[in-house]
Amino acid sequence: MDQECCWNRDVIEQADCSKINEGEEELLASKLQRVTEKCRECDVFIANLGRLRDDANPLAPILSDVLNENRRQKIQIQSLVSFLDNKTLEMRFVHELGSVLQSSVDLDEVLSVALTAITAGKGFGMNRAFLLLTDREANVLHGYLGIGPRNIEEASQVWNEIIQNDMDLQTLAQNFRLNKLSSERAKFHDVLEQLTVPLSNKNHILIKALDGKRPIMVEGAFQHPDVPAELARLLGVDTFLLMPLISRNRRVGMIIADNCITHRAITEEDMHSLETFGFPVAFAIERASLYDKLQVELNRVTEAGKKLKEQQELIVRMENMALVGRITSSIAHSVRNPLMIIGGFARSMLKNSPVSDPKRTFIESIVAETRQLEVVLDEILNYSDSLYPTRDFWDVNQLVEAVLRDTADILTSLGYATGYSSEPDLPPVFIDFKQLSYCLRTVLQNDINGLGTDRSIEISSQSVEDCVILKIEDHSRHISQAELDHLLVPFSETRDLGAGLGLALCKTMLEKQGIPFVALADEHAGIKYTITLPTRKEEQP
Amino acid sequence: MSRLLVVDDEANIRLLYAEELKDEGYEVVTAASSAEAAEKLQGNVFDLAVLDIKLKNESGIELLQKLVKERHDMPVILCSAFSCYKDDFSAWLADGYVVKSGDLTELKQEIARVLAKKAQKAKS
Repeated sequence: MDQECCWNRDVIEQADCSKINEGEEELLASKLQRVTEKCRECDVFIANLGRLRDDANPLAPILSDVLNENRRQKIQIQSLVSFLDNKTLEMRFVHELGSVLQSSVDLDEVLSVALTAITAGKGFGMNRAFLLLTDREANVLHGYLGIGPRNIEEASQVWNEIIQNDMDLQTLAQNFRLNKLSSERAKFHDVLEQLTVPLSNKNHILIKALDGKRPIMVEGAFQHPDVPAELARLLGVDTFLLMPLISRNRRVGMIIADNCITHRAITEEDMHSLETFGFPVAFAIERASLYDKLQVELNRVTEAGKKLKEQQELIVRMENMALVGRITSSIAHSVRNPLMIIGGFARSMLKNSPVSDPKRTFIESIVAETRQLEVVLDEILNYSDSLYPTRDFWDVNQLVEAVLRDTADILTSLGYATGYSSEPDLPPVFIDFKQLSYCLRTVLQNDINGLGTDRSIEISSQSVEDCVILKIEDHSRHISQAELDHLLVPFSETRDLGAGLGLALCKTMLEKQGIPFVALADEHAGIKYTITLPTRKEEQP
Repeated sequence: MSRLLVVDDEANIRLLYAEELKDEGYEVVTAASSAEAAEKLQGNVFDLAVLDIKLKNESGIELLQKLVKERHDMPVILCSAFSCYKDDFSAWLADGYVVKSGDLTELKQEIARVLAKKAQKAKS
């Protein structure tokens, strides 16, 4: 038989065979591989084979069968390779999905990933998906989120965007979460609102799928005996897939997926793929929900811990206050009563002793010293009382008028004239009323020994931003700023006890309440006091 | 002559008050506790009561509340070692408040003021 072709040559040139393409040069040197892969398609080889058959060579049919079998197996292998390639892609997708789902504890992120995966072309490629979650407290399955276009125009716009941007699943999901989560929720609000089914409604197809823990492919929904007419109308599609989300035997929720735009058939393959995907999604949703709850509980515990700490501090403060109160009470009774008795009887004796009595001087000394001790005691007790102010909202006018009433007699008897002008509608101020009363009384009575001729005190109040400014202008006392500053330092000189602690105590009391107290002295005009009272409840200083 | 009831748990203070107030022309009856005060009040009329706030294990404020309820025509002056009660709401029921001092001038002035006010009220 004449050899018209190259098939029996061990090595051939590129020009010898038109079937060998660029990139297949290794076939030029491999006779066996060349024959099995290329010669079967070569017309010259087929002609040669035909001549072999014509010559009634018994090998001809066998050779033909071998070549046909080889071709069939080759096609089968190609099909299997294609199948494996698809499965590899699917595995990679599920792996990518799993990685994203495993790393997130944010419910919105998990849901964004899940629904993006179902609807993305790179994922399961469904047109639309609804996620429903079980609410164990309300005992219902309710619509939570929807994704997908509502019409063809929106579909082509969205899908074009996706094609142009060529994003991977994670980027798509992030993009969805950042830009579309709330708008999609709003877009499907009407549908989601109606997708609420009591878990007790065992005949409802959604609950059947959930209880059965298996996906259900619904076809012919509008005539389907198990599909409520309102559900079919709501979804507006004849075919959809119900995929329950089950995590550790617990019913987490449900995904309803359909191809409402393309109407592509949902295959068994789609259903199985989605079923595989459903497990990690359910697990991730449950974990994210639990994390959310944990976060809420953690915040609650943190808040409770904070409150407990505040309570503990309050208890400590109250104990301190109680201790100070007990000490104060003890001092008041232990010291003041004997002082009063000594001083009182000394006065009584003085009153009844004749002027010529040589012991009168001694008795006068007792009276003076006990009086001095009483004043010192008053100041110490007031100082103790100032350590723990009790603040509340009070009316400034009520405060000033009450103090003016209290001091009216003594000030009038000493020839003082007082005046008070107030801005209308002053807001209430946050102060310790008792302490402020004491301070005002002290400031007003501080000048009873003043040497000035102008014995007038003017008080005014005005609202400025978050404060009420109280000004007391005393025109009777003329001292230098240095002398006044000295009077504002508590216990700066012990010899001054009983004579100059009043103003210093006022300053301490007001500072304890975070109230600025400014005293400016003018040797000719008198002293101007400014007390800035807060109108808002601030944190304790 | 106005009759005063003085309630204080300190014997020497009762004595001091009694001496000083008698000198001022008042008839003074003293009591060391709420129970004794109640006893002295039984069947007697007083023009004014002077109460200490801290009476051993009792509260003068409670006695004040009782007196205001049962003897609303008898004014009460609180006389206490504590200046802090002066601004306390619970003490506002009293007609006067004096911080204890060896100098009884303020107490005497307060008694005179309250009695004058009572007399004026009775007239009107």
